[in-house]
Amino acid sequence: MIEAQNLTRRYGDFTAVHGLSFSLAEGEIVGMLGPNGAGKTTTIRMLTGFLPPTSGRVTVAGKDLVDAPHAARRQLGYLPENVALYNEMRVEEYLAYRARLEGLGRAETREAIGDAVDRCLLTDVRRQIIGTLSKGYRQRVGLATAILHKPSVLILDEPTVGLDPKQIIAIRELIRELGRERTLLLSTHILPEVELLCDRVMIIDRGRIVAEGTPESLRDTQVGNPSVRILLKDAPAAGEALAALPGVLSARAGAAEGGWIVEHERGTDLREAVFRAAVAQGWVLLEMTRARASLEDVFVRLTTHDVAASSVNEEPAEASEAPEPSEPAEPGAEEIPS
Amino acid sequence: MRAVWATYTRELRAYFFAPLAYVVLFFFLAVTGVVFINLVGSLVDPRVMAPDPALSYFFRSSWLLLILLAPVLTMRLISEELKSGSIEILMTAPITEGQVVAGKYLAAFTFYASLWLPTLVYAILIARQSEVDWGPVAAGYLGILGIGALLLAVGTFASSMTRSQLVAAMVGVALVFLLFLVGMFEELITNEGMKQALGYVNLWNHIDEFSRGIVDTRHLAYYGTGVLFFLFLATRALEDKKWR
Repeated sequence: MIEAQNLTRRYGDFTAVHGLSFSLAEGEIVGMLGPNGAGKTTTIRMLTGFLPPTSGRVTVAGKDLVDAPHAARRQLGYLPENVALYNEMRVEEYLAYRARLEGLGRAETREAIGDAVDRCLLTDVRRQIIGTLSKGYRQRVGLATAILHKPSVLILDEPTVGLDPKQIIAIRELIRELGRERTLLLSTHILPEVELLCDRVMIIDRGRIVAEGTPESLRDTQVGNPSVRILLKDAPAAGEALAALPGVLSARAGAAEGGWIVEHERGTDLREAVFRAAVAQGWVLLEMTRARASLEDVFVRLTTHDVAASSVNEEPAEASEAPEPSEPAEPGAEEIPS
Repeated sequence: MRAVWATYTRELRAYFFAPLAYVVLFFFLAVTGVVFINLVGSLVDPRVMAPDPALSYFFRSSWLLLILLAPVLTMRLISEELKSGSIEILMTAPITEGQVVAGKYLAAFTFYASLWLPTLVYAILIARQSEVDWGPVAAGYLGILGIGALLLAVGTFASSMTRSQLVAAMVGVALVFLLFLVGMFEELITNEGMKQALGYVNLWNHIDEFSRGIVDTRHLAYYGTGVLFFLFLATRALEDKKWR
């Protein structure tokens, strides 16, 4: 539905985006991840036609953004990172103005506004002046604007930033629903959001795609071996016994007294063996967790550029706390070893 | 056309919903009111030779007001969108830069014209007391609309260059001032070709005749080309924003 070929954008001497190519199939929800300054917003602005690329081209539903800008833009709905609205207008008036700008007729406009207002849960504030709305409502008005003209491609730049946890859940619900019927590109740096919503992930760093695939495939291919974290009591010489278990690659003492991190081969489950070993040796097993690599590990590994990268990778718990400390616990957060 | 109309109606609404409009309207009517009182004073005083036509004095004294008025009316137009970032959501809709500039400019012009509407009362008041020749009055208003159209286009251009409304107003005032100043340079220059060129640009040469009741299409052409020129510059300035 939307395709980018060799997109490059320079600002003076600085190249923000280097020859990016990708395409989104119909009905796909794709997440675009990247640290701040990776070129996400620049890429999105080129996809929406706000910024012309230095080189490369974008087609939306088969229409070239340069050759047929209006036809291509009609197929696009866009929620920018900074949702700037006209504060003196009422919600309804603003949507009517946007509908007219998109070229909708009178009857279509009324229907489109009713639909967008319902879906974005704006019914209560229809007649309210935009300047008096809270951030969450403004975000929803922005989203209503983006879906007003029923575009086939939706591009959302950090749709949940600055919202409270309840609003985040509501917006995510809406995004998931919207993603069922149209192609959706979601830029974010909130990783659980990606795991929750996206069929496919692109990780962008310094203007290049550094990894692409489903969240699962990225986790499997990009991060080292799986491990089991255990906490033992009355087990003074557990290290050697653990290291001797079949499939174990290494056993290291963890931070806590009696804590161990046992790295093992991929495709095996070590937990049963650990339990039996504990029974046989008479250890008291207090805790056992399978530490699966999270998307955050992948993210940190791919986008950290100094030597610290490798050590961060070995200690997933540390890494998972680093990028988004304020993120509230969500269903997807259970992936994070803690 | 639909895109221009959508922008126009939104922008016009923004004018009338903002406090600025009423502040401007208040001071505008205060100043023109003072001018009118003076005019009436001179008309009834037998020692003063009444200007002919009677209202020419009124129109001529209003131009100076426009130096400030036009940039203040237009400073918001594009700067505000650049500053708030709403330009991003606007320019990703199916609309061109030219349509945005045209819609906004027309709204500014409509608001400007509506500022003058109450001053018709003055002409009506005079008409009740004495004979008024409506031809020169119409010509005077035409001149007012013409020069306003030009200065608003200058202000729109100034607004398209910066995200700061204050800077837009200052640049606008400076440009308008420059247009008036060119008239002074004309007197100082001896080179004949230069003199003619400056004479054409000189605003004074274009506004005076209207207030005396003379409608010359050359002046209308001057205003028209000036408007198109500055709106073209504004469009280019807006397009240029993409490249930085």
